[in-house]
Amino acid sequence: MNREEISAILQQFIKTEILAGGKQIEENASLRQAGVDSFSIIEIILFIENRFNVLIPDEKLLPENFETLQQLSAVVHNLMQANP
Amino acid sequence: MADFSKYQFPKKVYLSGPDCFHLMLDLHARKHGAGGNVMRKVFYFQYRINAERIRHTLHQSPGMHWLCNIKLCKGFLFAKPFWKYRNENRQVNILLHEEVEEGLIPEMILKREMPVGSAAYIEVDILFFTSGKSALVFSWNHILIDARGSALFFEHLNRIADGTVDEPSALFPPQENEPGLWTYIRNMYKVKAFIEQSSHKPVSSIADKDLKIKKDNSRSLVISFSPEEAEQIQRSGIKAGSKFGPTHYYLSCCAIMIHRLLSKRGRPGPLWIPVPYDGRLKGGLGPLFSNHVSFIFYRFEVEQLASIPLIVKELGKQMTDQIRIRMPGKYNMLLNMMRHFPLWLYYFLISRTGEGSIASFLYTSTGENFSHLPVLLGEQVEHIGMVPALTFPPGFTFLFLKQQHGLHLNISYLPEVISEAELNFVIAEIKELLLHS
Repeated sequence: MNREEISAILQQFIKTEILAGGKQIEENASLRQAGVDSFSIIEIILFIENRFNVLIPDEKLLPENFETLQQLSAVVHNLMQANP
Repeated sequence: MADFSKYQFPKKVYLSGPDCFHLMLDLHARKHGAGGNVMRKVFYFQYRINAERIRHTLHQSPGMHWLCNIKLCKGFLFAKPFWKYRNENRQVNILLHEEVEEGLIPEMILKREMPVGSAAYIEVDILFFTSGKSALVFSWNHILIDARGSALFFEHLNRIADGTVDEPSALFPPQENEPGLWTYIRNMYKVKAFIEQSSHKPVSSIADKDLKIKKDNSRSLVISFSPEEAEQIQRSGIKAGSKFGPTHYYLSCCAIMIHRLLSKRGRPGPLWIPVPYDGRLKGGLGPLFSNHVSFIFYRFEVEQLASIPLIVKELGKQMTDQIRIRMPGKYNMLLNMMRHFPLWLYYFLISRTGEGSIASFLYTSTGENFSHLPVLLGEQVEHIGMVPALTFPPGFTFLFLKQQHGLHLNISYLPEVISEAELNFVIAEIKELLLHS
C-alpha cells in the first residue's frame, strides 16, 4: 500500500468518525485546527493499529507527526515498510 | 421583540443520559445543601460595554429564546424526560449592576439557583465596575448546556451579532437511534464490572463520607498564570510525557498534590477520578444544548503517585485502554438506559453507588475551547473567568481555563472539605508543581 492510499483511508476515517457533518480534510490541512483533539488522536492511533496492523512506537508519538494527514500517512507508510 | 414564530424549534428535546445524571446531581446537591447545579462564565472588558446593544443581540438569538421558553416534562413511568418548547415570548432576564467593586461578582449572582421548574434556565448580568471596566456574566443550569456546549453557544451569539442565524439542526442534538433492550443489558453488565473494578475499595477522597455541610457555602479562587508561565507549563508537560496537550500534565500535578495533602492528613490511599470526555463530533457548530460528555475513569495506586512522569504515563495508558474498549460510549449507553427509569428510582440508584462518594476530587479542563475568543458580541474580551457548579461529594474541583492571555486555574471548594491552612498549602504546592516539575 502506498502513502497516498494510506492517506485516503485515514481521511475517510477522520471524515466519518471524528469530524462533524462529514467535513472533508485536505492532506496538508492542520488536524488540530479542524478540531482533532488529544482524545481523537488516540482514536486515530487505535484505528491505525487495527487497520494497518502496525504499532506506532513511543518515539514516533510526537505532535509533529500528527500535524497533517500527509505527515501521519508518511509515518504509517514508513512503519509498514519497516515491518512488512 | 424578535419574532421566532417561523423558526423551526423542535417540539420535544429528549434529555440525554448525562442530562438526567445532572438532573440527579441537582437533586443531590439540593439534598446536601451545596447550591444549584449552575455554571457561570464571566467575560471581563477593559471598558464600559454597550448594554443596550448586547440586550438587542441576545434577544435575537433563537438559542437564548429556547432556553427561556421550555418546560421539563418528566414522562410517564418508563418514558424518557424531555424539554417541551412553548413560545410564551419570555425573554432572557438581563440585570445591570452599577458601581461594583472591580473583580467582585455580587453575591446574588453567585447564590442564584435555577432549579428545574424555573421560568428560564439562563440569566445574564452586566457588571459596571467603579474603575470604568465591566463584565458580562452568563449563568445557566448545567442540565442544559455542558462546557463545550457553552463555547459553541458563545460562538452562536457572535454569529447572531454578525447577522447570521443558525439553522435549528446546528443548535439541537440529532435524533438518536436507541439500541435494543438486549444490547442495553449486555452493555450495563460490562460497564458495571468496569466501574466496580476501577473504583474498588479503598479509595481516598478529599471529603469525609459523612461530612455535613452548610447551604450556599461554596467558595472559589483563581490562580492565574501569565502567557509566559503558561508556555513554561506547556513545556514542562511535554518534558513529563504529556505530548498531545497539557491536560494530562495538569491532572498529574493535581493528583500528586491531593496525594500529598491526604498524606499530611495521615490517610494516603488510591485516588479515583472521573474526567469528562466530550462525545461530540469535532469542528461542528453544535449541538449547543444537552450534555454530550462521557467520562474516562482514572485510578492511581499509591505507588503510582510517586512522580509526575509516572502519573502522566499511567494516564496515557488508562485513557488508551478505555478508548480501545469504547468505555466512554458504553458508559453513555448506560446513562441513556437509566433515563427510562422513574426519576426517584434513578436517584436512589445513583445515591447508592459508591456509598455517596463520587470521586477523590473533580478535575476538568476547557482545553482549547476558550483559547481563541477575543471578541464577544462585538466587544473586546480582556479575559474570561468561570465559576463551575460544585458537586458534593467531594466538594472540591480543579478547573483549568486556557485563553489567549495565559492560563487560569479555578479551585472551587467547600470550607468544610478543606481548612484554610490546607488551602494555602494547595495553592503554594500546585503553583510550584505546575511551573517547576
